[in-house]
Amino acid sequence: MVAKANVAKLPVPPPRDSVASAEVSLYRNVLKIREDHSLENLGISFYDAESTIQWSYNADFYFHAASTMKLAVLLGVFRQVDRGEISLEAPVHVRNRFTSIVNQEPFMLDLGRDADPDVYGHLGKTLTVRELAYWMITKSSNLATNLLVDVIGISTIQQALDELEIDGIKVLRGVEDQAAFNAGLNNEVTANGLLKLLRLIADGKAYSQSACDEMLKIMLDQQYRGGIPAGLPKAARVAHKTGNISTVHHDAGIVYLDGRKPYVLVILTQFTPEQGRGTAVADVSRDIFNTLAGITYE
Amino acid sequence: MSDLSAPQVLKVVDAFDLDDELRSILRPGEMVRDDQGRRHRLPRYFYEIASHEVAMQTRLSQNFSLNEFILVDLKEAPRLQQYPRYVPCAVRTLAFYLQQFRAMIGLSVHIAVNGAYRSPAHKLSQHATPHMWGTAADFYRVGNNILKTKELIEKYNDAAEDLSADVTVLPYGPVPGKNADDHVHFDLGYITVVPREISEDRMEQPQESRPRFAFEERRRKDRRSPESEEVPTK
Repeated sequence: MVAKANVAKLPVPPPRDSVASAEVSLYRNVLKIREDHSLENLGISFYDAESTIQWSYNADFYFHAASTMKLAVLLGVFRQVDRGEISLEAPVHVRNRFTSIVNQEPFMLDLGRDADPDVYGHLGKTLTVRELAYWMITKSSNLATNLLVDVIGISTIQQALDELEIDGIKVLRGVEDQAAFNAGLNNEVTANGLLKLLRLIADGKAYSQSACDEMLKIMLDQQYRGGIPAGLPKAARVAHKTGNISTVHHDAGIVYLDGRKPYVLVILTQFTPEQGRGTAVADVSRDIFNTLAGITYE
Repeated sequence: MSDLSAPQVLKVVDAFDLDDELRSILRPGEMVRDDQGRRHRLPRYFYEIASHEVAMQTRLSQNFSLNEFILVDLKEAPRLQQYPRYVPCAVRTLAFYLQQFRAMIGLSVHIAVNGAYRSPAHKLSQHATPHMWGTAADFYRVGNNILKTKELIEKYNDAAEDLSADVTVLPYGPVPGKNADDHVHFDLGYITVVPREISEDRMEQPQESRPRFAFEERRRKDRRSPESEEVPTK
């Protein structure tokens, strides 16, 4: 009797290759990935420009942003460039000295942790805004990030997010501000927030087409490919930004495949420090790719 | 290729003769306060540097080219990042002392970006500092050593102070303007140089029938009254 009643409550299964079926399948697979990787939290949001399908899971939950906040810094930089406030070729003094937002005390980055000799090799000299933006995204340089945050200011970054009506991204500070971290003041993102930002860039609507083209060009050169690209065929091109700390692993990107319009995908994962980073992001990316590949459109 | 051993002659300009924009940035002769509230008169005579090539090729001393004293980033006023550029004539004195310092320690000295001349419009020019006179240099590297430890900074601070009583340094520490923890601040104080080709009575003669700026009018009044009027820095 019980089994019969349960069966009766299940929805009618959708056709196997339909969008509805894909959504059910995706949901099941995502739950399984979450369980398999013992994730504390998982947030996913994607939009496929080819099918116009938008799908999300826990997409308004706020995660520690880790290095995905650098996408907001990139947006703020190009806001200023587009307005003529700064030039991409303007020189910036490379100096490892920043001010905490909490106590205004100076702090320095641990350059041993920041594997970007391309930037810290220029200590005392200059790099251009363009070069800093490039290393901030492609090698996730914390030094480049904090230098750019100093150049444009946190308020400008937030202003850019507000102007473009991007909710779900909170940027309070640069990176490695330990005093702020201890005070619980962190940059946070939601999957939907990052999706909105990336869609604006993909659609050429973040300030100007040329600004978006420049941002995409930088993001396509991403050197850390263990997230979304790891779940895709090698031919896929991904303009993306990863984010990692001891308890989160994120990736947010625009996926370009031959013969179809791109899709935008954000995968945010959170786990215990003991659990460590696994392959959850790549697994979700693979599952979404396979799902999209299997859909037939009416 | 130019001959680097040949003496290079730099054009000296009276900043009052520069265009309005440059004069408003360089603020020749204006009084500014340092962080202790003491007043200092900004330099009036500058070397004009025609091009980057001239800056690179002009040696102020055996091992220091003029270019090293005008390295700035986007904190400097955009107009002052374009050639022709201007640097106070006292920069030669700084180069002379740095050369002596280099000889004393036997290692190359690398001046940081924004580490030598900074105009009054530079974003780091919150108060008067000798950087605005071209008489202070921040160096971040000596030989192959990046100056990031207390030991290294204090070692070269001591050497600089041993060189001459004219040299002042900032002690190691984190407070900007009072300490330095990632460079050595080498400072000769507020030196104003009047090049020999300048006749100093020129200011006393009317250059135009009408002053170009309010501060020039004030200065004319200053010369008739014993108490100078002070214009704060930005």
